Amino acid sequence: MDNNDQILDEFLLEAGEIFDQLDLDFVQLEQTPEDKKLIGNIFRAMHTLKGSSGFFAFHRLEKVAHAGESLLSKLRDGIFTLNEEMTDVLLETSDRLRAIVDGVQKQRREPEGDDTTLIQNLKFLTEGGVGIVKAITTPSAAPAAPVSPLVEEVIEITQPALEETILEVAAQDLEQEILEVIKEASIDAAVNEAESSKELAAPVKVSVELLDKLMNLVSEMVLARNRLLSFARTSGDLAFNNTVRRIDTVTLELQERMMKTRMQPISQVWSKFPRLVRDIAQDCGKKVELVQIGAETELDRTLLEGIRDPLVHIIRNSVDHGIEQPAERLAKGKPELGSVKLRAFHENGMVVIEIADDGAGINIPLVKQKAIQLGLVTAERAEKLTERELIDFIYLPGFSTKAEVTNLSGRGVGMDVVRTNIQEIGGTVDIATSAQGTRLRLSIPLTLAIMPAVFVRSKQQSYAIPQVNVIEMLRYEPREGVPGVENFYGVPVFRLRDKLIPLVFLNYELKVDDVMPPTDEPLNIVIVQAAGIRFGLVVDEVLYMQEVVVKSVGPLLKGTPVYSGSTILGNGRVALIFDINAIAVRSGIIAKLADNQFEQDISAVLGANNESQQMLMFDLLGLERMVIPLETVDRLEMIAASRIDRRGNEAVVLYGNKIMRLISLAHYVEGATQKSLYGDETVPVIVHYHHDQPVGFIVKKVHNIVNVPTQVVMVSPPQRGIMGSVIVNDSVMSILNVQEVLNMSGLGPHHEAGISGADFVDNDVITMDREGK
Amino acid sequence: MNRSGSYATFFVGDFFFGIPIAIGVEVTKGQEVTPVPLGPKEVAGFFNLRGQIVTAINMRVRLGLPAVDHGSDALSIFFQDQDHLFALLVDRVGDFTEVTENTFEETPSNLDPNARELIVGVHKLADKLLLVLDTHKIVSGINLVQS
Repeated sequence: MDNNDQILDEFLLEAGEIFDQLDLDFVQLEQTPEDKKLIGNIFRAMHTLKGSSGFFAFHRLEKVAHAGESLLSKLRDGIFTLNEEMTDVLLETSDRLRAIVDGVQKQRREPEGDDTTLIQNLKFLTEGGVGIVKAITTPSAAPAAPVSPLVEEVIEITQPALEETILEVAAQDLEQEILEVIKEASIDAAVNEAESSKELAAPVKVSVELLDKLMNLVSEMVLARNRLLSFARTSGDLAFNNTVRRIDTVTLELQERMMKTRMQPISQVWSKFPRLVRDIAQDCGKKVELVQIGAETELDRTLLEGIRDPLVHIIRNSVDHGIEQPAERLAKGKPELGSVKLRAFHENGMVVIEIADDGAGINIPLVKQKAIQLGLVTAERAEKLTERELIDFIYLPGFSTKAEVTNLSGRGVGMDVVRTNIQEIGGTVDIATSAQGTRLRLSIPLTLAIMPAVFVRSKQQSYAIPQVNVIEMLRYEPREGVPGVENFYGVPVFRLRDKLIPLVFLNYELKVDDVMPPTDEPLNIVIVQAAGIRFGLVVDEVLYMQEVVVKSVGPLLKGTPVYSGSTILGNGRVALIFDINAIAVRSGIIAKLADNQFEQDISAVLGANNESQQMLMFDLLGLERMVIPLETVDRLEMIAASRIDRRGNEAVVLYGNKIMRLISLAHYVEGATQKSLYGDETVPVIVHYHHDQPVGFIVKKVHNIVNVPTQVVMVSPPQRGIMGSVIVNDSVMSILNVQEVLNMSGLGPHHEAGISGADFVDNDVITMDREGK
Repeated sequence: MNRSGSYATFFVGDFFFGIPIAIGVEVTKGQEVTPVPLGPKEVAGFFNLRGQIVTAINMRVRLGLPAVDHGSDALSIFFQDQDHLFALLVDRVGDFTEVTENTFEETPSNLDPNARELIVGVHKLADKLLLVLDTHKIVSGINLVQS
């Protein structure tokens, strides 16, 4: 690359930044046309472009930018006020400039083209008064304006995808990618610099290859550190151990900092969306505003690329399908201005991106009708499906409820692409919909490069399962009188808490064993979730959990999709990482289960009401079959009465590093008998977190989790501590009124408890049941 | 590909191969290879070379020869192809050999077809034929989808 090329690259880089900012500024300007500062910014941006293009003798660029600048200067000086036509023509100007610069980037010279009409339009607007402008330009400029932004948009969207594929062969695109990284790196550097000192030091440019190499070296250093740590453990030399500890902390910090260099704010992707929403809304004749919350949330660079297309699809859907026409909205009592809300935040080590619109929601009856029409499901069975199961149909390729195809959406490609793309980067998609709008929730790992994984053994080899797929791990021991592994239309299944779980035998699937193992022996099962189903992977041994640095498996495993990557273990060996989705597909259980209308929930098979919720069943002395909503249960504990202390007139117990208030439920629930505790007694306690503080409900005995209908029978007259009753298998169960009990015991209004502990609860119930027996 | 220059040489069965050292050859021994169930049969597995994942190709299988278990004595010849590191598991490693264009000849037509598709030509050395491997073809010719 010679000197001139370098200067040109710097120009292209700068121009790219300018265009991104211009898009944002224009959309903003439409809402606040009087904002002189904003117009000033746009004007300066145009001017910078003009200046630079003059230097390179890019005449088209110079002329278009000049014409745009003239109009902007009048706006800036307050001679005109911005109107929609001006915005359209200015946006077209920005698009044209971008197209020219894109051409420069590809061909290293200015592309041919005719800008006469655009320049004329700009001149009309610049020279004429507002009234004349409208009369003259409407016929000439208006037809061009709505078409051209749309076409530009399409090019913009497909380009990143194309780049990904062409990257390997086209050096030019590679260059561009490097440029992008450099740009991003320099922005980061600049931002950091600005924070520490007022003076801006020149940012340092670092190539993406160098960063990757450094990343490799850091992972290698982590491995060397691991080996060093094991030496230190057996060594008695204090000075040596201290040095190792120092190396350990420095390595950790180095690793963290290195990961940070790959992180970028999500605004990198979002910045294109205000323009996208504006253009689609205008085409559909709708009024839509885009709200962005959490744009500073950071994600790995490769993941950002992965979410770009899905987000575009979703936003198109929201604006085109979701948001109603203004008249319809007013008739429904909604504000005329529709809204699409983008929100990003961290949750449980994942980045969650929510896209919520306040439109009409997904038309569930129509989805059902379409599914029957397309022969995906029988009419009889469709009636039994829950709303969630019906929504699943929209992920199928070619499924669209839209009657006519618009050029924006309705072709039935979309949601399947969204889900596939998100799953490819290890994320999940969740939809909630109502007449008030639709909310999509994408959960995405922070980074692809490092992720937690569960290691399992198959024969002599260890393999990693991404933790995001793992629901729980258990050892299954066949017992007398309990149905063991059963055969369900050729699929081995076993029963776990009233659910049928299909099994996949790993050794058999990997063809390292020719025969299915006998099923009357204990099995080590990892319950995993993928491709919409939950299944048990039978392994030789569950080893441990560890954070792994994910590496590519290279080109030769492209035809072997069961591996998504590889990682280097502490002993220097390579371990393969499974793609659980691919294993599910390969094992054929998905197809077999679909053929036989497999219902994982046995209670559903028995014809119970599908509208059910999970509750935990327990007894109080003198009052059996009480239930408590599972989402209010955080843990179950057995606590020895001797550990219980008194604080004033409260019973408390040390729980972790907190003090847990104990409440004897029998005291607050009508009909239960109270009884004092003795020192040698151990009592079951249901732990509920109230404003982050543990509260323990003392009960007599904890049973299991039951599915109860959401239909609650109210008790009349009201009984203290009881919310109502439900009927399960012809017996009546009373639901504990958690809030009332908390109120009565002097704890404030009920606080929503998280349900994150649900899986722990499941396991604990089993343990306690066994102990109880 | 340059026809003269230095070659790293090795033996697989009766074949005597060479690859130009200009493409970054390295020889190691005693790597613990992680096998890949369901993978292409030519892929012996993966190992770690200074933090990088290396795909090991079993040259005997690649050439359609009966497989031999070299155990931990397996010798690997490394090269890079399109950003990924590969290693060839071979029977025996020979010397580095300097050759000139004078000894180069097109691939003889009577050569074993399995080997013929992988080479760009031969160098007639005093005592034997040095088959010049096309490393890219070794990788690209592997059938990725196995049963």
